[in-house]
Amino acid sequence: MGFLAIVISMVFLVFLLFTMLRNGIGGLDWSFLSGSDSTEADVAGVWGAVKGSLLTMIVTLLLSFPMGVLAAIYLEEFAPRSRWVEWVEVSINNLAAVPSIIFGLLGLAVFINFAHLPRSSPLVGGMTLALMTMPVIVISGRNAIKAVPPSIRDAALAIGASPVQTVFHHVLPLALPGILTGTIIGMARALGETAPLLMIGMRAFVTTPPGGVTDPASVLPMQIFLWSDEIDQAFVRNTSAAIIVLLVFLLAMNGLAIYLRNKFETRW
Amino acid sequence: MITPLLLIAVLGLGLAGWFSARAKARLLYTGRGSLAAVPAHHGAHTAIWIVAPALLALVLWSIVSPGLVQSAVLADPAATHLPAMDMERHAILAEAVTLANDPSASAFHEQSSALVEPYRAARNYFDLLGALFVVVVAFAGGAYAYTRVRATFPARTRIERGVMLALLLASLIAILTTVGIIASLVFESALFFSYVSPIDFLTGLHWSPPQGFGPNLGDRFGAVPLFWGTIFIGAIIAMIVAIPLGLMSAIFLTQYATPGLRKVLKPVLEILAGIPTVVYGYFAALTVAPMIRDFAGMMGKANPSTESALAAGLVMGVMIIPFVSSMADDSIAAVPQAMRDGSLAMGATESETIKKVLLPAALPGIVAGVMLAISRAIGETMIVVMAAGATARLSADPFESMTTVTYQIVQLLTGDQEFDSPKTLSAFALGLVLFAVTLVLNIVALRVVKRFREAYD
Repeated sequence: MGFLAIVISMVFLVFLLFTMLRNGIGGLDWSFLSGSDSTEADVAGVWGAVKGSLLTMIVTLLLSFPMGVLAAIYLEEFAPRSRWVEWVEVSINNLAAVPSIIFGLLGLAVFINFAHLPRSSPLVGGMTLALMTMPVIVISGRNAIKAVPPSIRDAALAIGASPVQTVFHHVLPLALPGILTGTIIGMARALGETAPLLMIGMRAFVTTPPGGVTDPASVLPMQIFLWSDEIDQAFVRNTSAAIIVLLVFLLAMNGLAIYLRNKFETRW
Repeated sequence: MITPLLLIAVLGLGLAGWFSARAKARLLYTGRGSLAAVPAHHGAHTAIWIVAPALLALVLWSIVSPGLVQSAVLADPAATHLPAMDMERHAILAEAVTLANDPSASAFHEQSSALVEPYRAARNYFDLLGALFVVVVAFAGGAYAYTRVRATFPARTRIERGVMLALLLASLIAILTTVGIIASLVFESALFFSYVSPIDFLTGLHWSPPQGFGPNLGDRFGAVPLFWGTIFIGAIIAMIVAIPLGLMSAIFLTQYATPGLRKVLKPVLEILAGIPTVVYGYFAALTVAPMIRDFAGMMGKANPSTESALAAGLVMGVMIIPFVSSMADDSIAAVPQAMRDGSLAMGATESETIKKVLLPAALPGIVAGVMLAISRAIGETMIVVMAAGATARLSADPFESMTTVTYQIVQLLTGDQEFDSPKTLSAFALGLVLFAVTLVLNIVALRVVKRFREAYD
């Protein structure tokens, strides 16, 4: 019975992947990978969307990684037991479970309507996704820091390192593989995210790849969503091919995370 | 335009400060214990005092300067003929900005081309002023720190104090995000509730948001059909799929699978959780929905629609399976081995032990996991946007198309409409309800998990 349950899930997964491959493999060629969006299914390509995704992910990483790691260090190593810190912990745990579309509403209300940042730009998209990714990085970072044995800290302190030196010179390097694994997983989630970006209007029809983080752009999942809405049957091939591209990216990121975990994981 | 240059300049100044402060500190060294901090710390201290205030000044200036530029442009004689209407004036100004950045852009308003020159002049003037401001701040910070380079100055302690401040600020971002979410949702919802009473919104049975304002708004913003659609798809259909399959997978993985098999099966199951929701949505719309439509036709339903609650719910259920499975996995693993051994020693079979001992003992954890799964399912957006449909309907027929809270939020906010119309604002009210419900589910579930863990520790 139990095995059957797993088999059902597997069959679904295989069926999904098979459908996408059957529909999309024919559309994967160089002109598809290097072209940008178009109203003609034969001319349309994903490069514009891939570049938009890339820019968005860079903004997300630059914001969420330092913030997440610093917050994790503070909460795990320095935070006093107080009501205030408890609030921070509760809010991080809750943010990790808040529906992504709510972050989109936040981005729309704060970044676009209040701060008047450019609509549909990778900058705003990246900032919104960074808020979403940060709790994931904080939680995995805390677990990684917690796993570093106290004897390391005691040894560093005993030979005269200050608490800040202990953490940055000794604990953090040992916890880094774990933090990186969590970061990559969080980034993979952000890369596949569509709903919050819909809210901040990253559904622009852009026929040229964005030049910078303030240009209007689309991202890969959004491109899939936009193409799936097209009536023209030829877009089914494009949509499936774009899904294959997205899944390849995600697979590569998750593979990297697993590799990092296996290579650097230390059992104390 | 000037910002990257300025950034490089500030970093260069920081580097220069680092070297000169370190050199000064080295000169002070007379023997062991003569310096309170090593020269490199003095260098870093000075560099921080140059870079951090200068960057802060840069950010501050980039917030203030657009307003200053605009008021300078408006004060120009060429701007006296601008229309008094806010909307038009803004349009012309925005056009002048585009023209100034890109001379080949086409102008729609005649007046905008006259403003290009004043705009350029004002922008250059304020850019220079800002650059000067930033450099002065950098020098002031550097001068302050450089004069502090003395044998007794505890540079390292000061740096560490700065580091602690940075750590504290980073952890406050989380609270700020939460406060930001609540504030923006509550603020926009309050605007909405000034048009439509909360009671009409929460208990009304009819959802068809009108364009603009119009009379009897309360009758058209009844959200009950949306709540029903959300619960029906996310909490009923999806859970009927996810709970049994997820639970059985977890039991199989923890109790029956050999370690080798488990090592292979678990990651494969987790692939399901890693697939983006937009892919599930497309799969639901492309493959599952037509199959269900044909099935509904076979069952004798006339004119079955392509979009159905069942298609969205089924696919969503499959998406949730790994989540339920890993939560159940954790809570089964938390049951002490002694309870299992005791039951087996009494002569109970393996499956009796699972049914009569393990599952009841793990139940609180499993229930909490299901609650988290529900909160995830009702917040799920892309699958319902692509497969569930737009019609607000109170019906228990899974083959009908149905709409959800998340679908309506997307629908209401992606059109081109005035931001302050009740129609757009209602999306924030829906968001507030969604946020409140998921928050309560999460908090209760986390409490249950915590208490459950403590009971066996």
